[in-house]
Amino acid sequence: MTKLTQSRRGFLQTAAFAGAAGLTGSWPGISWSATGDTLTVRFDTDMGSLDPGYYVGGHPPNDVNWCIMPALVHASEQSPGWVASPYVESLEVVDSTHIDFTLKKGLMWSGGHGEVTTADVAYSYDRMKESEWKGDYVAYDRVDIKDSHSGTIVLNQPFAPFMNMTLARGTGIILCKAAMEAAGGKYTTEPPATCGPYVMEYKASQYVKMRPNPEWTGPKPAYANIDCIVVTDSEAGALAFEAGELDCAKITSTAYARYQKNLPEGGALTVAGALQYMWMGINTENPKLADIKVRQAIQHAVDKNAVIQGAYSGTAEPSNGIICPGLIGHRTESGYSYDPAKAKALMDEAGVSGLTLTLRTLNASERLLAAQIIQANLQAIGITVEIIPLDSGPFWEMGQESKGDTWQDLELWLMRYGAGPDPFEATQWFVADQVGIWNWERWTSDEFEELYKKGMAETNPDERHKIYVRMQEIMEETGGYVWLTHEPEVFIHSDGVDPQFASSGEMQLPYFKPA
Amino acid sequence: MIWYLLKRLGLSVLIVLLAVAALFIMLHSIPGDPVSIALGPRATPEVQAAYAEKMHLDKPLVFQFLIFMGNVFRGDLGTDVFSGNSVSAMLIDQLPYTIMLAVAALGWAVAVGIPLGCLSAIWPNSWIDRVTGILSVGTIAVPSFLMSIWAILVFAIMLRWLPVIGAGDAGDPLDQLRHLILPAFAVGLGWVGYLARMVRASMLEVMGENYIRSARAFGLTPRTVVFRYALPVAILPTITLIGVGFGGLLSGTVFAEIIFSRPGVGRIIYDMVQARNFPVVQGAVLVTIVLYVIVTLIADLIVSWLDPRVRDSL
Repeated sequence: MTKLTQSRRGFLQTAAFAGAAGLTGSWPGISWSATGDTLTVRFDTDMGSLDPGYYVGGHPPNDVNWCIMPALVHASEQSPGWVASPYVESLEVVDSTHIDFTLKKGLMWSGGHGEVTTADVAYSYDRMKESEWKGDYVAYDRVDIKDSHSGTIVLNQPFAPFMNMTLARGTGIILCKAAMEAAGGKYTTEPPATCGPYVMEYKASQYVKMRPNPEWTGPKPAYANIDCIVVTDSEAGALAFEAGELDCAKITSTAYARYQKNLPEGGALTVAGALQYMWMGINTENPKLADIKVRQAIQHAVDKNAVIQGAYSGTAEPSNGIICPGLIGHRTESGYSYDPAKAKALMDEAGVSGLTLTLRTLNASERLLAAQIIQANLQAIGITVEIIPLDSGPFWEMGQESKGDTWQDLELWLMRYGAGPDPFEATQWFVADQVGIWNWERWTSDEFEELYKKGMAETNPDERHKIYVRMQEIMEETGGYVWLTHEPEVFIHSDGVDPQFASSGEMQLPYFKPA
Repeated sequence: MIWYLLKRLGLSVLIVLLAVAALFIMLHSIPGDPVSIALGPRATPEVQAAYAEKMHLDKPLVFQFLIFMGNVFRGDLGTDVFSGNSVSAMLIDQLPYTIMLAVAALGWAVAVGIPLGCLSAIWPNSWIDRVTGILSVGTIAVPSFLMSIWAILVFAIMLRWLPVIGAGDAGDPLDQLRHLILPAFAVGLGWVGYLARMVRASMLEVMGENYIRSARAFGLTPRTVVFRYALPVAILPTITLIGVGFGGLLSGTVFAEIIFSRPGVGRIIYDMVQARNFPVVQGAVLVTIVLYVIVTLIADLIVSWLDPRVRDSL
């Protein structure tokens, strides 16, 4: 019998060689490709849930859903903000409450679930009425099924944003009724059945790979394969583009400013939209800010152009309200201007001196820079500001009455929301029943409520414009808002790629094509 | 040796339990309602209540801890609240990348740092010693994330020699090795300095010992004296340091995993803390703690085997 022996010196030598050998071993990994018929793009966060009823929306779930799931319409940057999708034979808005559609034949669900039918459309939209996104379906009543491939969507009231907001965004995708019912009615990252130009391969926190769907009979996309690589750090994404490993990457405003001056060879910039609105909120109920003259003084004291230059390198649009550029209701000027002298006079009129306030903000670098500029602006009129940077957890619940008592202490805060392609969405957070939920400025107005309902149903663009402009005037007149920026969604991409984006900034990957 | 092993094992189990308890308390002390963060602002009260019940968030913290530990002892680390995937499966998928990065980073640091330390100790106050000293302090002082960016700029963007994102093509070891070079360089650089300083100090101490002087008096070659008699003794504290360092890197590679977009446990923990995805955070940190304890245990056992004098103490 052989006795195995191991000396201490021998152990150290063996361990060294074993370590070196281990490094050359085979491990699972992800692919790296930015050439040929493969498009490689950046996802700035993991995909998350894809279920349109229970997802967070926006990017990247919508980017993915548009590759693998049917929809009647897709978003378009061109007016009216939507186009008929490749899944429909015809689509007609008959009147303000009826939309006729006919699906293309032969579009097959995966997993042997048969064709995409009108029943699937009806199931999908009915389901949304009970979901977390039911607000988008507030005007949806039913789908009248004519036959297996055609039907009529019936609304219970005219709802102007129905096509470009409800249907054209991710919440309008169609699910396979049979597969969904078999799966229990909900899903997260694995749709029970898909139908689109691509099939998806997903690895959490790493990538989503789109590969050609062999059963797809619709138009072929320009790129056979799309690799969506999760690169959470924005600067790392920009560097990866410069290293030639990404064909398209969303970048920060800092990188945008840098690339405007010195664009990498073979690169191009595309501004996909500026559907974000940032403002400084003022709690109208806080005793320190109860006098409207103090709030108006703050409005006049803040130099939003300094914020744009200092925090956003001059790349963001100045804001005059909550409706973003390009949308009905966008304001080109506000009712107040940067005027420190007037601000001081208003403070004197209010008889307030030595005021100290807190300014809460997310602890992102651009927000902190913006907060510091505002802090300096307000110091100039005798208001001392303490900046409180917060993690996203406490930040997003600080104004909600159901989440504690912080809402009572709120004074100033920097807020940014993302908007949809219709002004209705931006205004919905400021109605009376949102006080203590998302209306942290805590004001109400009967006129605002009335206009909100009117704007939802009005279909004449000129009339709608007047309605939404007036609604923003009402908001401004409360003294609860200091408008700051509309931050653009900017992408750097290869000049050999012609990217396509929804107006809300999501990538419409099946429509990407070589330039 | 057996008694020492048993004592160390018992201590390790105690450390894991205390660390998990501390983790649980700290994690649930983070401000922010995990339900609203996990489900987003649009979640209805019914959905929020169902989620809280499913995650046992409606129960007292002690009860939640007991449920968690009970599941752990059954080998169940829970379920990712977003994807519904098993946390264990997620970690099994991610852990090899982190281990690979930690091994590569420490591997090259050992390969360079220990010889540098030896050279410095053999010729103290020489130009080699001075240059090594400056380099060591420099590599320790420069933040690793800065070195990562610099390495990307030079080797990925300017020279285009090495890839910058991902972990390499599955089944292609060479591609994976290429993807490993920059992150391992960035993570390991500071360790080169640490190890060089550590080995130099230990070697200088050992080289002054009587048995080394005797070895020299017997006419042994300097190489034999250093590598056969001095280094095996001087390396002992370095082994402990490497053990602790490797354990730390299991979660400390997070910056490299983010900058280089590599999969890994550190990045999972970072992302999931942001999302308040508690089951994944708890599972990932638990696995990291256990691995840390195992690695330091192994390092201690090796040291006790090489130097029996340490067996008398814990």
